[in-house]
Amino acid sequence: MSVPSHTTSRPAFNLEALSNYAVLAAFLAIIAFFAIFADGFLSLDNLVSIILNKVVILAIVALGMTLVIASGGIDLSVGVSIDLSSMVFVMLIAAGYGGFVGAVGGLAAALCVGLANAALINKLKINPFLATLGILFIGETVQRVATGGGNPIYLTRGQYAGTFDVIARTEFLGVPTPIILMALCIVAVYLALHRSVFGRFVTVLGDAPDVARYSGVRVGFHTSIVFVACALLSGLAGILLSSTVRSYVPLSGDAFLLDAIGATFIGTAINSERRPSVVGTLLGVLLLAVMRNGLLLIGWNFFWQQVGIGVLVFLVLGISFGLRGRSE
Amino acid sequence: MSAVATAGTARPTRRKRDYSKLAVRLGAFAGFAAIALYFAATARGFVSPYNLTNIVEQSTILGLLAFGMTLVFAGTGTDVQKGGIDLSLAANAGLCAAVYAVLLRNGYGSAIAIPAAILTGMAIGALNGVAVVLFKIMPLLATLAVLNIAEGLELTLTENTVVPVSSPLIDMLAFGRFLGLSSLTWIFVVATIVLVAIAHYSRIGLRLYAVGGHKEAARAAGINNGAYVYGAYIAAGGLAGLTSILIVARLSSSTPGTGQMLLPVLAAALLGTVFSRRLIPTIGGTCLAALFIGTLANGFQLLGISSYWVSGVQGALILVVVAVTSFAKK
Repeated sequence: MSVPSHTTSRPAFNLEALSNYAVLAAFLAIIAFFAIFADGFLSLDNLVSIILNKVVILAIVALGMTLVIASGGIDLSVGVSIDLSSMVFVMLIAAGYGGFVGAVGGLAAALCVGLANAALINKLKINPFLATLGILFIGETVQRVATGGGNPIYLTRGQYAGTFDVIARTEFLGVPTPIILMALCIVAVYLALHRSVFGRFVTVLGDAPDVARYSGVRVGFHTSIVFVACALLSGLAGILLSSTVRSYVPLSGDAFLLDAIGATFIGTAINSERRPSVVGTLLGVLLLAVMRNGLLLIGWNFFWQQVGIGVLVFLVLGISFGLRGRSE
Repeated sequence: MSAVATAGTARPTRRKRDYSKLAVRLGAFAGFAAIALYFAATARGFVSPYNLTNIVEQSTILGLLAFGMTLVFAGTGTDVQKGGIDLSLAANAGLCAAVYAVLLRNGYGSAIAIPAAILTGMAIGALNGVAVVLFKIMPLLATLAVLNIAEGLELTLTENTVVPVSSPLIDMLAFGRFLGLSSLTWIFVVATIVLVAIAHYSRIGLRLYAVGGHKEAARAAGINNGAYVYGAYIAAGGLAGLTSILIVARLSSSTPGTGQMLLPVLAAALLGTVFSRRLIPTIGGTCLAALFIGTLANGFQLLGISSYWVSGVQGALILVVVAVTSFAKK
């Protein structure tokens, strides 16, 4: 490249170290900016609403995505897991089976998506991008056929009889239930990915698949677990989603796909190996959520918010990856 | 296959691979032919000249965008995760369509609006290039950020509304016919020939594939890798700009939702690899894949099968094709 290479390691190290903090610095700068210019940004109500409305569901999906990307794969079918889980959940409740059976059914639907991905990737040796792309297309057809072309299912108050409220509108020790569920998922994925043998194997799989294979890691088994976990987390997100909006809207899960991928990769900018991590992903989710909320508060309409987020993400990544590229 | 492997003399593995690749390739063509024959036998009017040109016309927009994706794949490698990809392509076309439609609405002529749309597309392509080459952001992530920018700009321009457009040129593109074929069909044919010439019969194309195939080897051979990656993204953006005019012509408006073509475009470009000799993305293969997807949609329509099934069948096809290919590559 045209960049002169450094002969001494010292300046390179500094730039490298700096690049790891670029995302964090940008995040703090953005928060400071909105704290000054957006009225009410720092109020407790607003912060809770950011977390409840913008963070919880995306964070749970992005945690699953983090596991998958850490293992060297990608899951384009998280939207299908979200939607099918939400669909089965709402349909079972509409049929009078109650919330518990509904939730189990929903998770079972997501499990099927995860198992299908795992089978395609491990048994048929299809690369994850294409396997989950295929499932994404098939999921769309399943939803259209099941709903007569894509009609939303709305439930009346009598039908949901408190199920949705129990999930989405109760508090436990003063903390809303969705936030508690998210916290449990964060802890579980953190322990699995960063504090367990399983997580080590997954990381090796992502970093050096051949090394993993030669050292006897059960590649197929670990890949399957990762994709199934991602599907189940997305399924949980789907149940939360339909509890919040009290309905099932076909094909609404795909909206989370690109944000989840974006958050995970933004998160990779915070460590020097550019590896996905739970902390990094949460930072990515918060960054996206804070930007949406802040831009809204300072009066940008939805359309400009999207441009703003795109430009900001572009700049943050440019700085983070650009600095690192130069240090090599 | 095992017989070949055991009876192999000089280079058994090589020969086995050649046979199975051939089988996949013939299988792909046979599959396409079988489906076309099935439709010809069961769907009334499928083989009428009018319907056949209609299929080409329906495949044009998908095909042109998939050509852009193919160029990016060619220049950055086919590993969709670690190599290159352009997620912003369809959103880029949407933005260009919006630029074109809004300029026409505000009284500018096609002479200004068309170059403006194509330049917009190329600018977005260049932005991808900057992100990937200069900043070294992973293409999957870089083009995702650009997708957001392009989609946001489209929404701000059109405020998420349909911008109706009419101009003599649009009418000509939408309804004009030349030697019995519609304008869109001609554009598809000409674009295919030009791109095949550039990608497969020119020095530029050869070097582009070299850069995508093996970066270090290309660099050692004295190729400026960055320039070719920039070139691939900018060319893809330019194609998106060109296609946007056809999109506007077909719908007589700029309509929100063009960005949703991303997945079909990806599917066409990836499906196209099975029609190529070495199972790599090629313009000809992508052209066939686009026609294949167009044929499926058209045949389903004629048979009265609900359009719900189209995406599912596309998905299943991708899986079958890729599974077969990956077995053949072993």
